[in-house]
Amino acid sequence: MSNKVSRRTFLSYTLMGTGGFMASAMLMPMIRFAIDPVLANTGGSDMIPTPQKAADLTETPIRVDYTIKDRQDAWYTSDESNTAWVYKEGDKVIALSPVCKHLGCTVNWEGDVYKNEFFCPCHAGRYKKNGDNIPGSPPLGPLDEYEVEVIDGFVYLGGTIPNTLV
Amino acid sequence: MNWVPKDVDTYINQKDYIDTIVVPLLSIDTRPETMKNSASSSEFLMNLSMFIEKQFKGRMMFMPPVSYTQSTDLQQLADTLSEDLKKSSFAHTFYLTTDAKWTSVTVEGKVVWLPSIPLETMDDHLRQTIMEDQLRQVLTHFMEKWNVQ
Ligand code: FES
Repeated sequence: MSNKVSRRTFLSYTLMGTGGFMASAMLMPMIRFAIDPVLANTGGSDMIPTPQKAADLTETPIRVDYTIKDRQDAWYTSDESNTAWVYKEGDKVIALSPVCKHLGCTVNWEGDVYKNEFFCPCHAGRYKKNGDNIPGSPPLGPLDEYEVEVIDGFVYLGGTIPNTLV
Repeated sequence: MNWVPKDVDTYINQKDYIDTIVVPLLSIDTRPETMKNSASSSEFLMNLSMFIEKQFKGRMMFMPPVSYTQSTDLQQLADTLSEDLKKSSFAHTFYLTTDAKWTSVTVEGKVVWLPSIPLETMDDHLRQTIMEDQLRQVLTHFMEKWNVQ
């Protein structure tokens, strides 16, 4: 009798255990999903690898394209491609966000007219190499910076943070 | 800007800067033998639209695509669109399409037609290169209009 009960108890515990485990397996991504956007805003987000070797960087900003897996937008669930302007200052790797601080267009390095500057084609916004906005052009603040880490020789980029160079 | 409330709020405050509306014209062919091609062009057009939007977010408002099936009367659709877009307050109107039939339709604003490129077999890197290439082509049309002011 007691043998029977204990086996049943054992079984039900096991099942609950399995169920509990399965539930947590299902819940975890959901919780992560719910919390993630908050984390991204505080800059504590994951570092994403880029194909850029740190050793190949110079003092001239170059465009680095990289992919963030599984982002969602209105139409598609897809990997999101992202861009950064990356250069070296001494030994320090600097990565700037290409998103114009005026209304969000993508800025280029060196337009036809202004050399050694970032240029926004939308309303002729201008920034110095360190991202500092040039007065008299529409942007009212400097370009954001990315968190940067060099891992095994490759540049990894994290979330954006307010510009620390200006 | 995208046709979402947050971006529309920005637009309302920044009308002077966001002076261009882009309408993707999306042809849908329902016949089984041409469905795949139609889907492929649709993917291309939507990808390109998103790509251009990202580059020129601060100047262009992108409408959700205006989609039509194969026997739609395009001239009639063009007339309706021209009429309705007059009620918006954008200085420049562009239509973006891979459907060559639009090149013989009269419409207010500029039709930018470009042939569709099948992206489905390409990896991310190649897609990116193709998009940049296409953007450069399209850009000349935008610049032409923007520089006239
Ligand atoms: S969005 Fe860059 S200058 Fe206006």
